[in-house]
Amino acid sequence: LLSRLSVLLADSNMDREEFCKTMLDALNKVTACYRHLVIALGSTSDSQNLREELKKTRKKAQELAVANRNKLTELLKDKTTSKDDRAEYERLWVLFTSSMELLEVDMKRSLEIGQEFPLKVPTRHLIQTGMTGSTTTVAARAMSVQNMKYDADSNIDTADLKELQAEITQVGQMMEEMEMKVQVAPWAVEAKQEAGAELKSTLSVGNSSVGVISICEEDPKDEIDEGGDNNGMITCVAGFVFVAIVVIAGILGYFVIGG
Amino acid sequence: MTIRNVRDHGQRFRPRMACLKKVESVMLEMQDPKTGVKSQPQRLVITTIPHAITGEDIVAWLTNCYSIETEEAWALGTMLVAFGYIYPLQDHKRLVIKPDASLYRFQTPYFWPAQQWPVEDTDYAIYLAKRNIRKKGILEMYEQVQYNSLHKWMNHKWDFIVMQAKEQYRAGKERKKPDRVVFDCQERAYWVVHRPPPGTVSAMDYGLERMVDPNTEEMIFTQQSIMRPRVKSSVSIGALVKYSVTYNKHDPFLAPCLPSNPWVTDDVTYWLLNMANVEIPTKMRVERWTFSFAELLSDPRGRDDFRLFLKKEFSGENLAFWEACEDLKWGTAATMNDKAQQVYKTFLTRGAPRWINIDGKTMEVTVKGLKHPHRYVLDAAQTHIFMLMKKDSYGRYLKSPVFKDTQKRAICPDQHMFSVSQLEANARKRRPSISPIIVRQLEQEERARMATSGPVDITQVMSKLSNKGKEVPPSKK
Repeated sequence: LLSRLSVLLADSNMDREEFCKTMLDALNKVTACYRHLVIALGSTSDSQNLREELKKTRKKAQELAVANRNKLTELLKDKTTSKDDRAEYERLWVLFTSSMELLEVDMKRSLEIGQEFPLKVPTRHLIQTGMTGSTTTVAARAMSVQNMKYDADSNIDTADLKELQAEITQVGQMMEEMEMKVQVAPWAVEAKQEAGAELKSTLSVGNSSVGVISICEEDPKDEIDEGGDNNGMITCVAGFVFVAIVVIAGILGYFVIGG
Repeated sequence: MTIRNVRDHGQRFRPRMACLKKVESVMLEMQDPKTGVKSQPQRLVITTIPHAITGEDIVAWLTNCYSIETEEAWALGTMLVAFGYIYPLQDHKRLVIKPDASLYRFQTPYFWPAQQWPVEDTDYAIYLAKRNIRKKGILEMYEQVQYNSLHKWMNHKWDFIVMQAKEQYRAGKERKKPDRVVFDCQERAYWVVHRPPPGTVSAMDYGLERMVDPNTEEMIFTQQSIMRPRVKSSVSIGALVKYSVTYNKHDPFLAPCLPSNPWVTDDVTYWLLNMANVEIPTKMRVERWTFSFAELLSDPRGRDDFRLFLKKEFSGENLAFWEACEDLKWGTAATMNDKAQQVYKTFLTRGAPRWINIDGKTMEVTVKGLKHPHRYVLDAAQTHIFMLMKKDSYGRYLKSPVFKDTQKRAICPDQHMFSVSQLEANARKRRPSISPIIVRQLEQEERARMATSGPVDITQVMSKLSNKGKEVPPSKK
């Protein structure tokens, strides 16, 4: 996915910015999914598969983080950017660092909970939280694949922890380096979204095209009060049709411009 | 970006919530399929969610497991709920355990309270944004207030918060329906514990953070404790017991504050009734004046009453001297010299207008000290006068008509009984109290007014009388 993207996009500043936005969307999505996965750790929906999902999601997050960091540092080190452009890059930087902070905390917590709740002990006491389903759809969303493949060893719950510790140190070091290299005052950044912006069902930050399209669903009734699930299906179908039309329009447009 | 250099000084070494680790092991024991708490499925309209436990089962299990009384098990269970390890499925804002068939569920380890994972406002903002999406903009009032305030001061991160909220919301949709319901309940329970709704208290409130590592202070601490003068524990404990018994009904934590505790009900009547210059004090306040002389003097209203009594007895110079000494001790350094000289001229010198009666030795020490005045130069004299007033005037004051009259007129307000809507109305009507600058101005005006009032000391009265040609007055006691 990453190599395809880097081939598609040329190396101008505008395209670099678009690339960054796309990458940030992806990182944001992976961070959100990772959090959902860590919340399931130690509970009755914990399993070998969950540990593998965590590992894969983490690795993906790190790839995205490195890609983001490189491109953003490039953009921010460029002294020739205009003030508006620079403000925009700083905004993207704040998005990136906030994502990384969440990721780092979640990684540390997953290490701690993973150590407390090993899977392969005879008297295994997972917390009966009421969650019993699997998290494979969440992980599939994070990895942007249709179905997850599971191919890890049976001792992943203990073997992975060492790797995780190393990765946590890596992330910590990366963030310190970033703070040193780039001079950005995060509190000076002005948000583009106003209060209540989440109520508008817009697509994500950039003009995300390849592989990062997210379908918006609106759940009409309060879930705790047990609303019906029928509307979900209808909006899914409508969303599919909409996306299909957008993709076709995009392809036609690409041909027109590129041709 | 959050500041990441704050180390948890001392909390790692002596965590204030050391019980959390112990609670975690209790939780693990409760999960045992054979010896743990029995769980049952919770039947909702469409789905059935497993692993619900009843309050009575929890209390019964605790009673058996630890061989304790039911009351203690009940208290322990409430603690588990208050910390957020177990959350109620009905009535989710009240974090107590009801030993009946009400249902509870275990919280997932990610949402367990832990000393080393401080609760971040970023996460709370994301949660509120998600809730906003789900409730279509209709948040509860306190949530809306929090949302607005977070939007204001976390504005630079707001894009991130909106993005994350949307993504987390969508990722949550990927799970099956029963798991989604459970997740929503879990998250809501977590935030009820860590951002309690108004009118409830949080069990996670442990006071101020320690900024200094207590272990490095130990050397100095132990050296000082060796040098400290020691008292027999029977004596010190006796004093503690006496203090507790005396002040038992006056402590707002132990006895209800009349009419109502402003911190709890947002109604400031209590403070208004107990202001410094109030005309009629409350009964509790007057009772406190009888506990000790220091208590009487430290309460401004009490001091006023005492001053009135002394005025009637024409021996107000003692109190005036004591107040002048306090003024010197607490005043600005620039005015110290002048104040000291004023005190000497008014109270200490031979033939002074308000001469006070202290013994020769103290007088000598004081006069010598006044050559090079400092803040505490009048300390010895002040102590002497304080003991004089305590042994002599105080006893007479308590038997005097002035005090008895005040006691009779003292009011005892009824307790407020606020309904929930009234409490909310009170919270909305909160206003800042009177500015300390204004209070100080009023105090100064009052002092000026008193200075110009009639003679209060026997010397002044006698000098006035003697000026009219009467005989020399007998020496004062």
